[in-house]
Amino acid sequence: MDDKILLDAAHISHVFPLTKKIAVRAVDDVSFQIRKGEIFGLIGESGSGKSTIARCVMNLCRPDSGRILYRGIDIFDSKEFRANKSLLQKSRQIIFQDSNSSLNQRMKVCDIITEPMRISRMTPARGSYREEARTRMSHVGLDERYLDQYPSQLSGGQRQRVAIARALSAEPELLVADEPIASLDVPIQAQIANLFRRLQREHGFSVLFIGHDLAMARFLCDRIGVMVRGRMVESGPAGELFDDPRHPYTKALLSSIPIPDPIRERGRKVPEFREEEFSRDGEWEEISPQHFVLQQRRRGL
Amino acid sequence: MRESGRALWLGKKVWSFLVSLLVLSVVVFWVSRLAPGDPLVSYYGDRVQKMSPQERQWAQEKLGLDEPIPVQYLSWLRRGIQGDFGISYKYKTDALRVVRMRMGNTLVLGGLGFVLIFVLSILLGVFCAWHEDSLGDRIITGVGTVTSCIPEFWLSLVLILVFSVFLGWLPSSGAYSVEKGGGFSDRAIHLILPVTVVVISHLWYYAYMMRNKILEEVSMDYVLLARSKGLGRGKVLFCHCLPGALPSYLSMMAISVPHVMGGTYIVETVFSYPGLGTLAYESARYKDYNLLMLLSILSGAVVILCNMAAQAVNEKIDPRLKAREPAKDWEVRGL
Amino acid sequence: MSNLLEIEHLSVSFFTPWGEVEAVRDVTVSLKKGEVLAIVGESGCGKSVLCKSIMKLLPRTAKIKSGRITVDGRDITGCGEREMCRLRGSLFSMIFQDPMTSLTPTIPVGAQIGEAVRAHHPRIGKAELSARVTELMTLVGIRDPQERGRQYPCHFSGGMRQRSVMAIALASDPAILLADEPTTALDVTIQAQILDLLRDIQKKLGTATIFVTHDLGAVARVADRVAVMYAGKIVEIGTAEEIFYDPRHPYTWGLLKALPALTEGRDTLETLPGMPPVLCDLPKGDAFACRNPYALDIDYEEEPPMFAVTDTHYAATWLLDPRAPRITPPIGGRGDGR
Repeated sequence: MDDKILLDAAHISHVFPLTKKIAVRAVDDVSFQIRKGEIFGLIGESGSGKSTIARCVMNLCRPDSGRILYRGIDIFDSKEFRANKSLLQKSRQIIFQDSNSSLNQRMKVCDIITEPMRISRMTPARGSYREEARTRMSHVGLDERYLDQYPSQLSGGQRQRVAIARALSAEPELLVADEPIASLDVPIQAQIANLFRRLQREHGFSVLFIGHDLAMARFLCDRIGVMVRGRMVESGPAGELFDDPRHPYTKALLSSIPIPDPIRERGRKVPEFREEEFSRDGEWEEISPQHFVLQQRRRGL
Repeated sequence: MRESGRALWLGKKVWSFLVSLLVLSVVVFWVSRLAPGDPLVSYYGDRVQKMSPQERQWAQEKLGLDEPIPVQYLSWLRRGIQGDFGISYKYKTDALRVVRMRMGNTLVLGGLGFVLIFVLSILLGVFCAWHEDSLGDRIITGVGTVTSCIPEFWLSLVLILVFSVFLGWLPSSGAYSVEKGGGFSDRAIHLILPVTVVVISHLWYYAYMMRNKILEEVSMDYVLLARSKGLGRGKVLFCHCLPGALPSYLSMMAISVPHVMGGTYIVETVFSYPGLGTLAYESARYKDYNLLMLLSILSGAVVILCNMAAQAVNEKIDPRLKAREPAKDWEVRGL
Repeated sequence: MSNLLEIEHLSVSFFTPWGEVEAVRDVTVSLKKGEVLAIVGESGCGKSVLCKSIMKLLPRTAKIKSGRITVDGRDITGCGEREMCRLRGSLFSMIFQDPMTSLTPTIPVGAQIGEAVRAHHPRIGKAELSARVTELMTLVGIRDPQERGRQYPCHFSGGMRQRSVMAIALASDPAILLADEPTTALDVTIQAQILDLLRDIQKKLGTATIFVTHDLGAVARVADRVAVMYAGKIVEIGTAEEIFYDPRHPYTWGLLKALPALTEGRDTLETLPGMPPVLCDLPKGDAFACRNPYALDIDYEEEPPMFAVTDTHYAATWLLDPRAPRITPPIGGRGDGR
């Protein structure tokens, strides 16, 4: 693995005003780095701010404070952004959870897949865009006969494959995958996860993987960051995070994954994570190389 | 904080209301004066043709029509703000008084039509949603689509032909017959045809909206839960679905007021019903400038107010605000 | 123990403009008093339709083509809407997948629970009713029941809403609870809480439960017996231990192997190839054959019957025929592989 840092997000905060009186701290002082060729997982429950971060990384949403450097380019600096616009747009691609609504229903599969190439005016290496689409489809394991179909004619798993093929057609360096497999059935999830991993090996792009399924994250990711209510509470190499979770939330999250083993699972007690006892402030501590934990300040002491 | 927020909101609304009215008055003032025609005709009648140029000059000066249009407008505006909208050329009296005389008739016709549309469209909508795709629903949908496409004036003429000319059951024009002196029953009989036209030409549009809104609600998951409690279909429809559909229906009905009003104006002219509609038509035709301005401002005010009311209702019931605001609060404490 | 619910040879089809969709095909299954039966399968395998046909809450395009549903010795297949209204809630009730949409947004939660109580006790007094609502809300673990009861569903979080839905379902002490993916739409940590609640209540009240899910982990936590459904049919049924430690159907193997929890440290996840079939145009023979790495020639010709493995364990695969070649199951034994 190349140790060069591709994406460096520092102290990102974002507040969503809900009404004039109430605002939600969707993202609160989150920092992380993604190296070249690495899969970084952001894990958290709904409302933990992980999708907001994905949007920030893609320039779809501007954080209230903080800075994101992509290959050393400050993507929220309008001057730097304009100077590197085509590079930034081409080399970052995103996949959404709901491929039903994120793919244009009125475009054929073939056009969807090649659209990023047409936008960035890439000359199709294989003669025509159609030929290009065909190759891309074979990469993601989609049959050629879907080339002229519309997304609504495909199943969820197939649509997600189209979304992946579309994202990869611009040959990105960074792929942001916002819950790419959450809405699929278990066997199809496994298919897509395998595909993801294979493609990542072959093409060597970096991935920001966003999900809520820790077991899947462990299989896919090199490093994982765990988020609760806008805060990142623990981050580290996937294996270490699993074997030696430190933050109470990570522990609760890990133990709430049910084990498909009736005898063990029935007797098991799942520890409850009390959010009211979770304090937002604390200090980052490196407990082993690259394994960071937000140390809770004890209350009442 | 809350009080001042509300005052600010209200202030903004009033401000945009006033600006809209001002723009409207400028446009109507200009356009009406640019249109061909002689306002003196409505004041002096046939005498105008015999007038010498000096007399014309004098008459125009008297009515304030000799100045350039911007100057005329400004003086109109100055007097209008003080509540003086000038005289009607045709009736030779205060325009406000003329309008006041006729307003009652229009309010009766339009109001009755509106209430009927409101009630009937809910009933029809619920009926059709309840019997979705049944024979009754299909017949009503078919008939409704046809009636909502028929232009009001044509429908009026057909009804007059059938019920007044052929059958002779109902009077064809006016608000009351002169010989009977305008008693309640007499007025009611005169109202039947115009109200029928107003209702028929608008009813289906809103009934169909209501039907679809309820069908949308019926397809929601909560209907399944309510039914799995053991509640009957009727109870679910009236207690669970209808309250969900009503707020957006109300806001729609607020927007519908101008539509119904426009329809009423047309119907009034066809039936020569002495209301604001016929008045507006006459004043535009005979270049009765002051009356025309007053009527335009009045109608415009109603339209703008209703649209604002609809907007306010919508802002209040926006489900995104309602669903998201407090949920976060509770997620911290609950569970 | 006698069978509380018996479904015999039930077939349900949807009649769409594109043809007939056979959502449930010849399903025979029974539920004992106080037992939790899990029905597992991919989306579109007919597990939800099965639940809704028991409740007779199917959309108008669906028809029960054949079969019999018997509850407590009483045939309800021919019951009309009026009769079903009486049975729903009191004999069986249902929990739905998405708690965000299954509560009526315009009615306070307490009133919705009260409505469910009153549906079967129309003459209940006001004080009695509110006491019962408080009791139900406490039962499902909602704190401050009186205050929370006055609030609208939009003030509740996902987990709290699902608890309220459970309170509604339990309002008239139903004998059978049908839970249609009650945890799928919830966050992981809340899923565990709702599962535990479901199990606790089931133990406390002895309600027989049909638990529909696609999550085998959740099944392991709550189920006594498991039925695996594929393309509208039950392909394997047995006790939880039998299904997890000694699965016999290749589809069950595929489902278990695809779980990332079981693939610790492996390079790729085991997967079932292909996709579930479209139910309006089923192939000849076994619907699973084209995804089945162990398919025999006969699978493409004839649908396998149910073979008995033990008294409680049945599987529909030709591999169990005495003439079939012996195959070592790729999974089984102690199941977890750790």
